[in-house]
Amino acid sequence: MSKSTDMGFVSKAKLWVTNNPDLAFAILLAVCVYGYFAFSNEFFATHRTTYAIMERFAVLGLVGLALTLCIIAGEIDLSIGSNAALAAVIVVRFTDSLGAINAALIAIAISTLVGLIQGYFIAYLRIRAIVLTVGTLMLLRGVSLFAAEEKTVMLTDFTIPDFISTKMFVYFSPASLLVIAVFIAVALFMQFTRYGREIYAVGGARKEALASGIDLKRPMMVVFSISGFCAGLGGCIIGLRSGTAQALGLQYLLLAGTVAAFIGGVSILGGRGGVIGAAIGTLTVNFLNTGLVFNVTPAFMVQLYLGVLLMVVIVFQTGSQMFDTYQRRQQVLGDVDLVRGELLNKKRGSPI
Amino acid sequence: MNANAPAVSRQAKTPTWLANLVDKYTWLVVTLVALFVLTFAYGMITAPNFLTWFNFKTIIRDAALVGIMAIGLTFVTLSGNFFLLSMKETAALAIIAFATAMSAGYGFEISFLFTMGVAVIAGALQGVLIGLGGNPIVVTLGAAGLFFGVASWWSENLVISFRRPHGAEWLGSGSFLGLPNITVAFILIAIVAELVLRYTTFGRQVYLIGSNRAAGKATGHENFSMAIKTCIIASSCSAFVAIAFSAQVSSAHVNYFSSSFGSSGDMTILVIATVMVAGNSIMGGFGSTLRSSLGAVFISTVDNMMVLHGFNSGPRVLAVGLMIVFSIIVFALVRRGSRVQE
Repeated sequence: MSKSTDMGFVSKAKLWVTNNPDLAFAILLAVCVYGYFAFSNEFFATHRTTYAIMERFAVLGLVGLALTLCIIAGEIDLSIGSNAALAAVIVVRFTDSLGAINAALIAIAISTLVGLIQGYFIAYLRIRAIVLTVGTLMLLRGVSLFAAEEKTVMLTDFTIPDFISTKMFVYFSPASLLVIAVFIAVALFMQFTRYGREIYAVGGARKEALASGIDLKRPMMVVFSISGFCAGLGGCIIGLRSGTAQALGLQYLLLAGTVAAFIGGVSILGGRGGVIGAAIGTLTVNFLNTGLVFNVTPAFMVQLYLGVLLMVVIVFQTGSQMFDTYQRRQQVLGDVDLVRGELLNKKRGSPI
Repeated sequence: MNANAPAVSRQAKTPTWLANLVDKYTWLVVTLVALFVLTFAYGMITAPNFLTWFNFKTIIRDAALVGIMAIGLTFVTLSGNFFLLSMKETAALAIIAFATAMSAGYGFEISFLFTMGVAVIAGALQGVLIGLGGNPIVVTLGAAGLFFGVASWWSENLVISFRRPHGAEWLGSGSFLGLPNITVAFILIAIVAELVLRYTTFGRQVYLIGSNRAAGKATGHENFSMAIKTCIIASSCSAFVAIAFSAQVSSAHVNYFSSSFGSSGDMTILVIATVMVAGNSIMGGFGSTLRSSLGAVFISTVDNMMVLHGFNSGPRVLAVGLMIVFSIIVFALVRRGSRVQE
């Protein structure tokens, strides 16, 4: 009896893995990384470390989510670090005069608006997002330098950083709970609304999607405003948590977020991947980050590992693309041979 | 008179140059560009000491380092491989390699060759991955992390310095006919790159693969070897800049090309901005290295002008950023519907 349900579970799992190979790979990688550090360091698999990982997840998860959505739509938002830095500067600068909530709302609104405008221009001018976002990367840096008056801005009142890092339910803080709520909302949006499906459509098959009547402006504006929103929220959390903000900081977010998105199973060709993948990818990156810190690794080595990880994922993806192309070509060649053989046989008058 | 002018008279009258321009580019673009030119001219005239020979030399000197890197990157962009996000990290790796070799007592020539070798390996690594079909942005983002990590690990994140009387001084602080040697190198590289692109088989192949990859493939010019070659050119240019910079300051650190470099933030973005401000098509096949060199001079001119007007770094970065976005939008509007756009 129990054996038969077991069999059922195994075959179900098998089916699920064949249907979601990317997600299965991501989970496998996450478990491996976690397992490695959990066995090599006795302090890794503890409540406190898990809390620290979730704290990191709050920021990096948002960036990973934003980049996942962008890559699903077939674009990349390079300006995400600058956008987050701008939000951080604004929120830290105005918290003293307006209160933390108002300042955060203003910062997030500005970041979202920046994203919205980017999306509009990308669709209106029909240019690649990388082209425009490289420009806005620099522009936003200028704006945040301007807003910070070229200094490191600091909070004077440190009750807010304390509140944001309060422990709740052992593992969570207000920040990470908020981020988890954002994740759930975006996941529902992507899965069940027309706008969400449009994003998949313009990413996976842009020409076909446009031909079937999707206006490119709408999905682009939605994707980039979500990206701007995530960057803004992430920037606010970083700024309020540390109490300081630098106009030229936070540039490392792009690499870490991209690695998270790619581990989560997005394809550079667009149209693949999802929010769950983004969460798992970010967690994997966080395990790696935190674990390396436990093993006393300097910060630049973390960057090295992330770079290598990204390149390995890309090599795998490129390899599977090449394999697909090769197989398709072989199929076509085989078909041609088959038809030619039939024709030859017909000519000889000896059908098989 | 214009409002009720019949079609016949319009045909008879030869259109003025302004009408021609408007006809070709639409009012919006012409107004935008005219506004920009006016602002630029106003700034130029009112800036103190701007229109002097000395200041002109300063502008070119400031443009040289970014310009050389931009020329290298232009090859990649022209061949349709977007751009490399690893320019400054390649330079960081190269500067560490050069300074390590110099401080170990090898002469300038051997250090130079060693650094170029490192750069060629770095370029080829990225080129192979891009040529196999990896997305250039993502591949070079990963490579950037890798190179920066290797460079930091190699130098143990310390400043490496070598003593003053060394073989590279002529490159760093020497001058030729009143121009610093780095400026001379910039001008020479710009001329050579332009000639290579225009008159050699390799140059024409770059344009062919950039403008029509399928046609290139059909005629036997695969992107695989082209990606490797152009990436090697780009990273060699980065390495040359690193060597020149290191020769100037007689030391090296991985962060020399990071956010504190110059006024406008990080070097990679500045280089990419230079390539795009100049109007090279990011999809490949359209543009030239001459454009990139002029783009570098242009950015440096604007920066110089704002320094003379007494602006801080914030407004300066803002102005450069605005210029980039502005030029992207104008070039996109000009090329709407044409193939160079997408």
